[in-house]
Amino acid sequence: MNGQLLAQSLVLGILTGGLYGLTSVGLSLIFGIMRIINIAHAALIVLGSYLALALFRSFGLDPLLSILLLIPFFLLLGGAIQWGILDKLSSKDLTLTVLATFGVAIIVEGLQGAIWSSTYVSIRTPYSLSSVQVAGLYIPVVRVMAGLASFVLLAAVFVLLYRTNLGRAIRATTQNRTAAQLVGVHAGFVTTVAFAAGLAMAGAAGPLLGMLYSFYPATHWLLIGKLLAIVVLGGLGSLTGTFAAALVLGVAEQVAGVTLPLEWGPMLFYVLLFGTLIVRPQGFFGAVRRGSL
Amino acid sequence: MSSGNVLEMRQLFAGYGSGGDILRGVDLQIEEGDFMCLIGPNGAGKSTLLRTISGLVKPRQGSIQFRGQEIGGLRPDRVFRLGLAHVPQGRSTFPDMSVWENVLMGAYTLHDRRIRQERLEQACAMFPIVERQRNKVAGLLSGGEQKQVEMARATMTGARMILLDEPTLGLEPRASRTVVEKMQELNASGVTILLVEQNARTGLAASRTGCVMELGRIKLQGHGPTLLQDPEVKRLYLGQGGTMTAPRPPTGQVVA
Ligand SMILES: Nc1ncnc2c1ncn2[C@@H]1O[C@H](COP(=O)(O)OP(=O)(O)O)[C@@H](O)[C@H]1O
Ligand SMILES: [Mg+2]
Repeated sequence: MNGQLLAQSLVLGILTGGLYGLTSVGLSLIFGIMRIINIAHAALIVLGSYLALALFRSFGLDPLLSILLLIPFFLLLGGAIQWGILDKLSSKDLTLTVLATFGVAIIVEGLQGAIWSSTYVSIRTPYSLSSVQVAGLYIPVVRVMAGLASFVLLAAVFVLLYRTNLGRAIRATTQNRTAAQLVGVHAGFVTTVAFAAGLAMAGAAGPLLGMLYSFYPATHWLLIGKLLAIVVLGGLGSLTGTFAAALVLGVAEQVAGVTLPLEWGPMLFYVLLFGTLIVRPQGFFGAVRRGSL
Repeated sequence: MSSGNVLEMRQLFAGYGSGGDILRGVDLQIEEGDFMCLIGPNGAGKSTLLRTISGLVKPRQGSIQFRGQEIGGLRPDRVFRLGLAHVPQGRSTFPDMSVWENVLMGAYTLHDRRIRQERLEQACAMFPIVERQRNKVAGLLSGGEQKQVEMARATMTGARMILLDEPTLGLEPRASRTVVEKMQELNASGVTILLVEQNARTGLAASRTGCVMELGRIKLQGHGPTLLQDPEVKRLYLGQGGTMTAPRPPTGQVVA
């Protein structure tokens, strides 16, 4: 196998990993604070793709710029879903809450089919077929843009979480909800903010994925499987672990694409997942906590 | 607040979900500046009482007044903002944060930098461990060290009163003694303390007043050392080594 091809897939892998990071860190954030898996996460990513496509077709708005509109839209949508549905259920039963996110996924998928039909679409911009040449490697422009945009957005989220008061409150509530309430954190509000932020990351990832791959309303079922594999691999509850796992899987997927037979592709995530869990059941960064709780 | 009580509970009832009452008419007054120790058998409802005061459990009936203001049913973050802190039973640090970040979280509701700095210095002076272990991840500290971090965190807003739920539980004797000393220091600095302690002898010896809870009610209340001499307290709670050995009341007893 030639070194150039390997270098190319490595770069592509890191860029893809960034995008996986953007999508799965949001899922991990929501899991951490609510203890539920948001089954609708990938459906909402695909919704972001469709909205970006609609904005592009109707107003010629560049998919990258549409992110600036999608973020506030998904923040509000996330706030509404959490406050209007999930919060009302979570006090009764967490299983019910997971089922509700499943319901949201079905509804979003159905609405997309009704509005945009169930056929494959993709976002084709004037630069969709161009490449940039870096150190002798040809990398498609859209992959560079999607990768870099993901890293910028992820950096913003990590700054929010680790450098602001609200971010500290989110992490505190995730680590010990009762203790957070007892230092004056309004846990309900902070949970809603975190859920909304997770959805905003999903929404922002929509246009980026939509520039790279074709999609249709049901694509989210394939995507959510990958995202869950990443979150579990990184260690439940660890955002840095999720990010690391996203990079590893992004690179593994690209490298496997040029080294392994084609049939391996779809299995790769799960092979890596089970392989890791056998050696390290808590995932990359999952903590084995001392003491109670 | 003509009464001089910081905290007053009247006919307080509370419980969990759709279950029966755990608190069944608690009447209790705590004077400003007091150090009160609450003892009672396992399952009497001591933790539930503290949780109801701090807002984690909603009262079903009755009143809780903190410094003359009704706080029954307020959200816990609201109660905390009024100056009433609660260090719950078990570990309650933020395990993945550093010691320093844990203590800073105690000042989450403070927005004045200068006051925050002042409080940090006070907390470090009373709990040297905060400075010594500042960059260590809190979840990796020993139980006694974590308790001190939790206590330091609880002082950051300048709380007028602190509820502590079995802070020495599971600690080795030396760590236990440090925690007791810290509570006394806090009390000496003017903070009213309500301590729940499973070791009745240690608790009543460290405190000024004491009370005994049984089956969701306050059965006895009085001066700590006097309670230590009370024949019934002695019989029920100061048996072998001062731990509670006789939690069961006679069957069929109805407390009026
Ligand atoms: N979260 C909870 N949900 C339901 N019942 C509880 C809960 N916590 C405590 N209880 C019940 O309330 C009663 C009193 O418990 P607790 O207040 O913890 O007693 P103590 O602190 O005096 O040992 C016990 O019967 C216990 O089973
Ligand atoms: Mg208890």
